[in-house]
Amino acid sequence: MESLLASIGQYMFHIFGLMAVGGALALIFSKNAIHSIVGFLLSMLAVAGCYLTLSAEFLAVAQLLVYAGGIVVLFLFVVMLVEMTKYKEKGLFQTQAPVVVAVVLAGAVAIISVFWRTWFAPDAAKALTLSPGLAQGLDVANQNAQAVSRGLFAQYLLPFEILSVILLVALVGAVVLAKTERV
Amino acid sequence: MPSMNAVLFISFLLFSVGVAGVLIRRNVLIILMCVELMLNAANLNLVAFARHSGTVAGQAFALLVMGLAAAEVTIGLALVVALYRKKDTIQVDQINLLKG
Repeated sequence: MESLLASIGQYMFHIFGLMAVGGALALIFSKNAIHSIVGFLLSMLAVAGCYLTLSAEFLAVAQLLVYAGGIVVLFLFVVMLVEMTKYKEKGLFQTQAPVVVAVVLAGAVAIISVFWRTWFAPDAAKALTLSPGLAQGLDVANQNAQAVSRGLFAQYLLPFEILSVILLVALVGAVVLAKTERV
Repeated sequence: MPSMNAVLFISFLLFSVGVAGVLIRRNVLIILMCVELMLNAANLNLVAFARHSGTVAGQAFALLVMGLAAAEVTIGLALVVALYRKKDTIQVDQINLLKG
């Protein structure tokens, strides 16, 4: 049992990653917008799981709070607000969808060939491996929240403050945009 | 411990699914969700490289990107609601006010 759990734990990232991709595919291809949102939610939860396996615990919890708690609910509100059944017969996909899919597949093949080189080619470049390490005396793996806070509030304080201004602008802008026009 | 290539590959798959969704769907809400998906793929890369380099910069910037994504989705949904009030539709191919 122990060895089984250990061997499963080794592949946790792959499981979560495939769940994320599956949720993303469900998001794109489902007819009903609510089903799309459920796929989006699954994808976000799986990405949070990926963060956990990469030992970014604080980021995983923030992902759960922001996406599963905030953004998905926001999307649900707007879907309920906007009636979409009227336009169901117009079709799900754009008329240029086949061309787009072909182009995206071509780009995907190009990038996959790069992956192919690093994985299978005989003269493959040495693949990067993930290594836990120290950040200014803090163990990123074991003291995640402390390390992130040190990065966020000391080293990268300016981007953080700029982000707060952006959030304020977004708040005011959303109120102005969604307000009903009254003279 | 996943290999770097696995992380990058999953992130690449998420990103390409997001690109395809933005380009093929007609519904503005789905398009916004696909943009979120692409931002998440970028975040996954940032976290992976933070893990690789042993520093915390990637995780800090992933948090910043998360906040930016929240701001973006707020503005986007407000635009969708305003557009629905004005044009009575959220299908992108019917929103052609700028077309001469």
